[in-house]
Amino acid sequence: MSTTAVRTEAPAVAPDVEWGIPSRMIAGFSGTTGLVVKLVLLSLVNAIAGWAAIVLARDGKWIAFFVLLAATVTLDAVYLGKRAVPLKFLVPGTVFLLAFQALPIVYTVNVSFQKYAVGHIITKDEAIHSIEENSLAQPADGKTYVMAPAKDASGKLVLLLVEDQSGDAFVGSPDGLEPLPKDALKLDDTGLITGAQGYGIIGNLASVDRELADYVIPVGGGAAIRPEGFDTALELEPTLRYDAAANTFTRIDDGLVFQDNGRGSFVAANAEELEPGWRTYTGLQNFTAIARDPLIRKPFLRVLAWTVIFATLTVIVSFFVGLFMAIVLDKPGMRFSRLYRGLIFVPFAVPGFLVLLIWAGLLNDDYGVVNNVLHLQIPWLFDPWWAKVSVILVGVWMTVPYFFLVSLGALQSIPNELVEAARVDGAGPLQVFRKITLPLLLVAVTPLLIASFAFNFNDFGKIYLLTGGGPPAEDQSVAGATDILISYTYKLAFEAGKGTDFGLAAALSIVIFLIVATISAGTFWRSRTLEEMR
Amino acid sequence: VKSSWRITALVVAVAASALAAVAGTASAAPAAGSASAATTIRVWVHSSMKPATDKVVGQWASSRGVTAEVVLKEFGDIRNDLSKVTADTAPDVIVGAHDWTGELASGGLIVPLSPRSTLKAQFPTTTLNAFSYGTAVKRLYGTPVAVENLGLIVNTALAHVPTSFADLERQALAFKKKKKGNLALAVPGGDAYHMAPFLSGLGGYVFGKTRIGTFDPSDIGLDAPRFLANTPLIDKWNDEGLVSSKVTYDTAKNAFLKKQAAFWITGPWETNTLQDSNLRYRIVKVPAIKYRSGPFLGVQGFMVTKFASQHGVLSLAKDLVSSYLMRASAQKTLAVGAGRFPANSIAAKTVTNPIIKQFGAAGVGSPLMPNISQMAAVWSELAGAWTKSLKGPGATTARTAFTVAARNIANKIG
Repeated sequence: MSTTAVRTEAPAVAPDVEWGIPSRMIAGFSGTTGLVVKLVLLSLVNAIAGWAAIVLARDGKWIAFFVLLAATVTLDAVYLGKRAVPLKFLVPGTVFLLAFQALPIVYTVNVSFQKYAVGHIITKDEAIHSIEENSLAQPADGKTYVMAPAKDASGKLVLLLVEDQSGDAFVGSPDGLEPLPKDALKLDDTGLITGAQGYGIIGNLASVDRELADYVIPVGGGAAIRPEGFDTALELEPTLRYDAAANTFTRIDDGLVFQDNGRGSFVAANAEELEPGWRTYTGLQNFTAIARDPLIRKPFLRVLAWTVIFATLTVIVSFFVGLFMAIVLDKPGMRFSRLYRGLIFVPFAVPGFLVLLIWAGLLNDDYGVVNNVLHLQIPWLFDPWWAKVSVILVGVWMTVPYFFLVSLGALQSIPNELVEAARVDGAGPLQVFRKITLPLLLVAVTPLLIASFAFNFNDFGKIYLLTGGGPPAEDQSVAGATDILISYTYKLAFEAGKGTDFGLAAALSIVIFLIVATISAGTFWRSRTLEEMR
Repeated sequence: VKSSWRITALVVAVAASALAAVAGTASAAPAAGSASAATTIRVWVHSSMKPATDKVVGQWASSRGVTAEVVLKEFGDIRNDLSKVTADTAPDVIVGAHDWTGELASGGLIVPLSPRSTLKAQFPTTTLNAFSYGTAVKRLYGTPVAVENLGLIVNTALAHVPTSFADLERQALAFKKKKKGNLALAVPGGDAYHMAPFLSGLGGYVFGKTRIGTFDPSDIGLDAPRFLANTPLIDKWNDEGLVSSKVTYDTAKNAFLKKQAAFWITGPWETNTLQDSNLRYRIVKVPAIKYRSGPFLGVQGFMVTKFASQHGVLSLAKDLVSSYLMRASAQKTLAVGAGRFPANSIAAKTVTNPIIKQFGAAGVGSPLMPNISQMAAVWSELAGAWTKSLKGPGATTARTAFTVAARNIANKIG
């Protein structure tokens, strides 16, 4: 399509000019075809934005609404105008950067300042309502009733009731409970109310649902009869009272006061806590909790040290093995070299989680293939030391193909003249490798080594699927022998306290990010000074 | 072409507004129409319960003149998504496991129910306790439907049904010695769930009970004196090779199916495997060791979410869950559909499938899997204790392993 567009739309270009693919594409999009494509895409973007704007306006989310509006108008102006040509190239990348990089980071940082965990999901108003409802208890002599919603003569909603024990009939309304003569209600053989004298039983029950949900028939004291569904009602009394002015709950039988602790809970002086709590901003609480928590402090250095060792060894060993294989297979004229390269690439092509699960089975020391075939008795996954070896070995097995490929490419980019010049000057093959090949290779590969280090530093899946952080370490702490920071973080954020703690998880991941960023930045800085020295 | 970009702008604007209007009305219609159109109740259900739920909830819906929207969800997603879903697409009723109760109730995501006492009387207390939760007031948060628990599967061609634990131990070890590769007991020895019968058989427990009868996270029973007194038996099992933490679930299953094990500990999710196996077997209780060797009892059931009242269908949802679904007829359809033993005792009497029946009998009187969210802190530590003490040579003594586990759990819970 683009070639025809070039030919018809750009006759002014000299025919002997060889156009590259990018230029042809750009040219292709500047003709009529381009205009149509642009209009369609832009209309689509506008349409989606318009739809989103309607939804946002309906939900009253005005900040998001105006951000969206401004963004859409800017987008249209950029692409319909003629002036902002550089922006036309910058905008798509920027949009994706914001959507997929900036937004998750902003979200994570935002969550890290919140109490957001199991038991702290809903808003405070919802929590207060829920606490009140959960605290309702059936009194010792509390009665239960067969119930039918009905309209009285004036059309008001009332509840017709038959007490379960005595069979006495009543009519209940927010004004209270009134006895009815026994034969006023007709019951079917399952005991449900089917008819009533002077009352119209409601057929379309769904229509009174909202009214029923809050319907109470006071019966003295704090107790009240409340409907449960459409055919049952029972007496319940509150055990807690909410004081909106003081923002406290008071327990009715012993007067215990529960106060808002500023961290999304009502807590009494004796540390008793009401459930549920609510989601709320708590400032730096999650970060100070990290610093104070003995669960984190105690094994932290051991876990950090192992994380660094794990990431470093995996990367370094993989790099040298990959490089070795690349040098071996780089020989021109070697037979089947394509086949070998293909085979080496296999571990990289198989999905990682599958590889890890398979390795976990292969390394089982009684039933695994590795021990059985090699007649070994090594406790690969059950001994703290061997488990570390296993994790690194599997890591290397998975990473070698990557460094093999990278090295293969980098080797071919080293100018042959340099190597030949060194040989002429009398350097042996080892000297050539140490003084020429490796330094030149490192210039190209160092950023990849650092990236791979950062990736392995946070490779949750490798640890989780292979050993689950286990086996238990000698210091008997919560962190297992092969737990790296991120997998240990997972245990803390998802298994400690009452379960999942999103706020703590976000705070911990920010801390880990800072650690990785510091290490990576340091290494980058050193490699750059090395480069300059050279 | 170069006339004016204003024309193109106009084209874009018109096209966009037209599309937006269509999309907007499409999205706004259900929101505006919900009051007048037929009332809908939305149920989240996982695949194995979907057909039975469709049927039962559909019958109820037509009798009430409302529509039911039964949405298929991944089992675990039902629990996870409930805390993230927007009100528009949120369910009014969910089907879930009883051990979610603590997390969902303490989060205010599900609402308490008060079914009629005549209906409650049809359920064994355990199944109601499964869905009961509260720190000060104990309330019911779900309608139990189906029960599942482990049983001991005995290959009756290779062994006889053990009369006692000592008998089981003797037969299992003798079978193991017969041939290399044989397992004594086919059970994943490093798995906290599958090892539960051994924990309770030795007098251990995970969480004790509070004054009001709910699980107490401050009472951890992995280092209870009566259990620690019996832990030398675990060390003995490790020495003689009765149970091994190196056996995984798949190893255990394969060994039993290949007749390399005469005893397998598993649950009703293997019903089809057993039916297709061409083996002769019986499913019985794990024999008592020092105490009754009860497996963890798991109960599936229906819960009403906080969204039901936002959607204005709270009474409808309660009518469905705490009245209609409590009845024996609905209970039977649901439990049979799920391939599990019914929670309702009237429905339980009608079970005909021998496997389901035997599993049901094997679970009677067993302890509930704790339903408080603090259980999250338990699984990996408890598994670690079994793994350490049953890994063969070089194993930690069980007393140490379980004491450490209890301490770590207490630290994690905080």
